[in-house]
Amino acid sequence: MDHLLVLALFIAAVSVIAGAIGSLLGLGGGVVVIPILTLVLQIDIHLAIGASIVSVIATSSGAAATFVRDRLTNLRVGMFLEIATTIGAISGAFISGLLLGNALFIIFALVLVYSIYPMSRRMIAERRLSRRQTAAEARPANVPDEQPDRIATALGFEGSYYDPAAKREITYRLRRVPLGFAFMYIAGIASGLLGVGGGIFKVPAMDIAMGMPIKTSSATSTFMIGATAAASAGIYFLRGNINPVIAAPVALGVLVGSLIGTRLLERLAGDRVRMVFIVVIALTSVQMFLRGLGVHILGG
Amino acid sequence: MPIEAHQTQPDRSSAQSQPSHDTLQPIEIIISFILRGGVLLSGGIILLGTLLYFLRVGGVTATPASLKAMVFPHTPGDVFAGLAHGDPESVIMLGLMVLIATPVSRIAVSIVAFALEKDWRYVAITSVVLLILSISFLLGKAG
Repeated sequence: MDHLLVLALFIAAVSVIAGAIGSLLGLGGGVVVIPILTLVLQIDIHLAIGASIVSVIATSSGAAATFVRDRLTNLRVGMFLEIATTIGAISGAFISGLLLGNALFIIFALVLVYSIYPMSRRMIAERRLSRRQTAAEARPANVPDEQPDRIATALGFEGSYYDPAAKREITYRLRRVPLGFAFMYIAGIASGLLGVGGGIFKVPAMDIAMGMPIKTSSATSTFMIGATAAASAGIYFLRGNINPVIAAPVALGVLVGSLIGTRLLERLAGDRVRMVFIVVIALTSVQMFLRGLGVHILGG
Repeated sequence: MPIEAHQTQPDRSSAQSQPSHDTLQPIEIIISFILRGGVLLSGGIILLGTLLYFLRVGGVTATPASLKAMVFPHTPGDVFAGLAHGDPESVIMLGLMVLIATPVSRIAVSIVAFALEKDWRYVAITSVVLLILSISFLLGKAG
């Protein structure tokens, strides 16, 4: 591995795998690629974060292009909440620069543990969905007895999308905008700090806090991830944390991997394969935590 | 992010065939085009730069420690100066700059689109996001 070309090809190969696993599990590639770069290849975590954040822009923009065209994204909600996520991303990128690698490993490990919950929830939801296709999105977006939110009304936060499973246009109105906004600031910090997309924080900010349907929340989150990542990527770039020899194979690899993940793997892989990956993520979080404490297990 | 990809992919054709009640339709087409175009363009430039880089440097050795100590252009000025000399690292960095600029262009174009719709509230909101991104680039340069 002491040949630069071999190292770059290896980084590209693991990035393809990370992108594919990431899209299979509904995580971004960043969450998977950073542990591989740091634990297996012993690459400095700040450089791994810099490489990951540009790959996040590539995968999220590619996916967002489709969701925006298909009118699944709520552009107004996304653009308003980007005020919070971009400020958060700037905060995160600066905190990241101040922290030692060890602290970043520990925070990353905690985020990985947190990501296991939505992954499992998604698996269970999909299993239910395959049993009763038409039940999709049957959950009302608004609690009936709740007053329409004044801020949401003022900002024109309502929307609709066509649900093919229910065969009708689903309309929704949002609530608790300040709560969602605060949550988005935290999502931005996580993204800027760790070089990940942070969809696992953005989706619940809209879905749970603001009462947006899950499909629109996911599409809007993907849309926002690109702008959020651009804010911190600019800082990492100018700071010299984006090394072209690492960032190029990671960005290209994760992008190709995510396409493979959505086009191929999701059709082929069953629940059992996904369970295995979730266990791997859990073990990885333990590894990252131990590394944060200075214990090296993999690769010395 | 690919949560959505999985959930929505089979829906694409039917979603498209639906008549639109949304005034944002033209914005959506333009944004979609910018995002896809930006990713393809930057991906092409990064790939080109990477190929040129390995054609030039050939059999250099590298360790994770040497990667950390590596020097490469990381301001737009250095990148453009490097491009003038045909420096492959600068080609990769240009591709990465195009990638970072992709969401920024999407925001800039949205401001114009909201202005054409005379939706001044969203002209203001989107301008604030663009301002924050500009500040982030200035802060990155300073720090």
